[in-house]
Amino acid sequence: MKRRSGYRIVPYFILIIVCLYNIVPFVWMFSTSLKTEKEAYKIPPTFLPKEPTLESYDQIIVWTSFPRYFLNSTIISLGTALLSTFIGALAGYGFSRFHFSGRATLIGFILASQMLPGVLLVGPYFKMLVKIGLYNTYPGLIFAFTTITLPFSTWMLKGFIDTVPEELDQAAKVDGCSTLGAFLRIILPVIAPGMVATMIFAFLLAWGDLLWVLVLTSGDAMATVTLGLSRLVTQFRIIWPQLMAGSVIATLPPLVLYMLLQNSLVKGLTAGAVKE
Amino acid sequence: MNPIISESSSFSIFARPLSKKLQGFLFVLPCLLMLLLVLGFPVVTAIVNSFSPIWSEVKTFTAENYIKLLRDELFWNSLKVTFIFVVSTVFLHHVLGMIVAVALNAELRAKRFFRLIAILPWTVPDVISGLIWRFMYNPTSGIINYLLIRSGATEQYIEWLASPNLVLPSIIFADVWRGYPFVMIILLAGLQAIPREQYEAARVDGASRIQEFIHITIPNLMRIIIIALALDTIWQFRRFGLIYNMTLGGPGHTSEILSLYIYKHYFKYLNFEYASAMAVVMAVLMIIISLPYIRMITRKV
Amino acid sequence: MSFKTTKWTILTLLLASFLLVSTAAFAGTPKETSEEAPEYVELVFSDWHLAEPHWEKALKEAFVIFEREHPNIKIKLDVVSYGEKETKYTTEIEAGVGPDVFHLHAYSIKSFIEKGYVYDMTPFVKAEGPGFTDAWYSQTIELMKKDGKYFAMPGDFMAMVLYYNKNLYREAGLDPARPPKTWDEFLEYAKKLTRDRDGDGKIDTWGFGTIGAIDPGFELRFTPILFSHGGSYLSKDNKCSALNTSEAMEAMKFFNDLVTVHKVVPPGVTAQNPGTVRQQMANEQIAMLLGSGWTPPIVDNNNPDLNALDVLEAAAVPVKAGTSPKFSTTAWLSAWMISPNTKHPEEAWELVKFITSKSMEEKWFKDARVLSSRKDVSGEYDELLSDKFAKIIAAELDHAKFVPQLKEWPQIIEAINTAAQESFTGAKSPKRALEDAHDRINGILSVYRTSSDKCPGF
Repeated sequence: MKRRSGYRIVPYFILIIVCLYNIVPFVWMFSTSLKTEKEAYKIPPTFLPKEPTLESYDQIIVWTSFPRYFLNSTIISLGTALLSTFIGALAGYGFSRFHFSGRATLIGFILASQMLPGVLLVGPYFKMLVKIGLYNTYPGLIFAFTTITLPFSTWMLKGFIDTVPEELDQAAKVDGCSTLGAFLRIILPVIAPGMVATMIFAFLLAWGDLLWVLVLTSGDAMATVTLGLSRLVTQFRIIWPQLMAGSVIATLPPLVLYMLLQNSLVKGLTAGAVKE
Repeated sequence: MNPIISESSSFSIFARPLSKKLQGFLFVLPCLLMLLLVLGFPVVTAIVNSFSPIWSEVKTFTAENYIKLLRDELFWNSLKVTFIFVVSTVFLHHVLGMIVAVALNAELRAKRFFRLIAILPWTVPDVISGLIWRFMYNPTSGIINYLLIRSGATEQYIEWLASPNLVLPSIIFADVWRGYPFVMIILLAGLQAIPREQYEAARVDGASRIQEFIHITIPNLMRIIIIALALDTIWQFRRFGLIYNMTLGGPGHTSEILSLYIYKHYFKYLNFEYASAMAVVMAVLMIIISLPYIRMITRKV
Repeated sequence: MSFKTTKWTILTLLLASFLLVSTAAFAGTPKETSEEAPEYVELVFSDWHLAEPHWEKALKEAFVIFEREHPNIKIKLDVVSYGEKETKYTTEIEAGVGPDVFHLHAYSIKSFIEKGYVYDMTPFVKAEGPGFTDAWYSQTIELMKKDGKYFAMPGDFMAMVLYYNKNLYREAGLDPARPPKTWDEFLEYAKKLTRDRDGDGKIDTWGFGTIGAIDPGFELRFTPILFSHGGSYLSKDNKCSALNTSEAMEAMKFFNDLVTVHKVVPPGVTAQNPGTVRQQMANEQIAMLLGSGWTPPIVDNNNPDLNALDVLEAAAVPVKAGTSPKFSTTAWLSAWMISPNTKHPEEAWELVKFITSKSMEEKWFKDARVLSSRKDVSGEYDELLSDKFAKIIAAELDHAKFVPQLKEWPQIIEAINTAAQESFTGAKSPKRALEDAHDRINGILSVYRTSSDKCPGF
């Protein structure tokens, strides 16, 4: 009995240490964002700001196009999340329910498409977008990110749909639904937690990208939060408080999204990735 | 994005007369089209480029880029750095992820709180985590040296990102911070799916926690571990933003991973053809490495 | 029960965001709605200066004047950051789009010309009449040309000089009126300036700050040291590396020893870029740096409390004791180019001509303290010649030499940048690092040599 109660402390001990590791960078980011520029460069540094100020936030929000970047990032990331999840669910359903020939090859092909390095694709993809008139538009970026996240979404949602008993679709078809109708009305609501998991994944990927956005957009009107931040790190000066204020703002949406949906995320991963 | 959606919904009209096989294929079609349309042209262009002479207007077939590659010590160096980076980050993601997942799976108070904190770093884009860590590692104004000096662990300003011996470990440490939570949730999801009865039975037999872990947890998790390993390996291979923002490959070439080296040749030196050859090699390598995983998944379906 | 609520929350969220995105994606995409032919021509202008508030303001003011003078032209701004401009322009121009007019610096001019990423301006330049280009320093015009054709117009032109903080000089017992003339003196000063000023037993102020990160700014900080020691990068015909000379070795060793032996440079030099070094200057953590016209305003901007325009002083780059080399520093040069994809070359030329005109270059100096490649500005403009920084920079233009101009330059300078990092960190000795860079550069240049050409070894 004694041995057991000793074991009980171990998880807490581990978790507290891990939480410190996880939290310190956040604290540092937040604390720096409240410092004056001078204090941020002090030797030795201060852990918490001596005279906290919101000046950096003011600078970022009022004096740059950050609100615009924020909107762009949101549209692009949400678009990617929705598109890749919807297409992924369609494909997942197809792979899960229909045993057509060449299925394994197709899955292999979809998974293998993840192996192509982005640096290689971005130049020619850009040329293509210009030809079809989608350069510097939201859809152009959303398509690009969707292809990156699609393999994961498809595979996750296939796993999830595998766990849904096939009798459900059959019952729907007896009630007069078409195959697509059954998918839209019966399957989609049931796999909602799995879709949440893939959506968060896709959202984060699109939200955090720099290379594609850098190359595929032009001007301030289409820039995203990460691109805006990278422009703050210029050759000419790095203003850490502003940069960290920008980082706080940039981290907020994924953070909030995750906090709101964390139950569905874990539930979705459990069903999608674990069950066979 | 709408054309594809509307295309897939329109076929519901014809749904009935279609064979089941064709129906299944139609469900998969948007996904395939998307990948083919977006990736097809870039891939073909890259391969053609990789066999063209460098800086030339005319495209004639030559293998000189690949031959040059074999003799480029910086290419081999970047392969080595990539290998170290990928192997150590993936390994640490899994070790730490497993420890935290097991801890979170225990009966705990404040479980939701701990779980919330444990996943937090995953929500930070890697470009931004590169920036945060770069500032934390700053020798004179960064928090890390400050804490070490305050606690008496060192008297010197340690140059985390400026020393060839410390730079990779420092980058790996920063990457693990951001990367392990995702592996952790996948593993946690796997842990929660293990039937409780298995543990209860073992406990009746008087098994220790460690025996339980080896004989119940690990075998049950095997499949999910392999999947997490494979996904993580692919993603780590492609990692770019973190090192781009932390060191740009320096000091020297000690943190120059392959994706960064390709980027430099493509966008800084404008050696498109040479960069394409490297990227083709990188893709082939990744496919070879992940072949067992792809086969495992496709065999199961 | 709770699952049901979650389900509905999720579905509502989904629907709402889908509506948002699909409306925004199509309605919100900024598109040029040009159903009717507009009465004006739109020129897209791209410049890294647009990413910095005080430069952006100056440029915008200039464009107001331009648009007033040319009511048929409207300028659209396309911001880019300094480090990412080549990536952006390359992809865009390759794909047949991109800005109409853009700004580059000498680093990549040559490769852009060779790649065909620039519009041939020769007809425009010729049409301006003979003697049009005489207003510029001839060495700057030469760099814009290839095979007798003009591919760009020179913009900023500045020599690198030494900046120092006179307060820190006084505190350390040095005379601000006597900046170091030789590198030996410089080192002596730097040692005195490296001190513990707040009395906590730890050094917090250093004599010199420099760039050790992989960064385009490295070239401008290392080259003056190399040139003033009598060294050069490449052989005269640009076919071989010249790093095997004793002068180059001496320069490299001096540069390295500042960091590793004398420790007069703050820790972490291989992570420092121009921005962070200027920040150290602004915070009085370093007392000297190599910079040029842009330096004082940015330092001032970084920390207004320092009063940089008063506290900083400029001086010529030191030379090796007992020598008076013809070239002791290097020059910064930028260029204005027109994209080969432009649909409005005449209007683009109007813009280039305007932005490089005498009055605009004078305004640019007033706003940004940046000197011009026009002789009639950098050599004649009163306000410039009476400015305490600009007059020194202008005088040093005579001693400034450009780095070699060839399309492989970015790769070559990066090899040297890397060599510096390797010796700073002790991974290699300065000699070994230089030797490796020498071999690598000869490898890069091998395409220019026939089998009978042999480069001297190290």
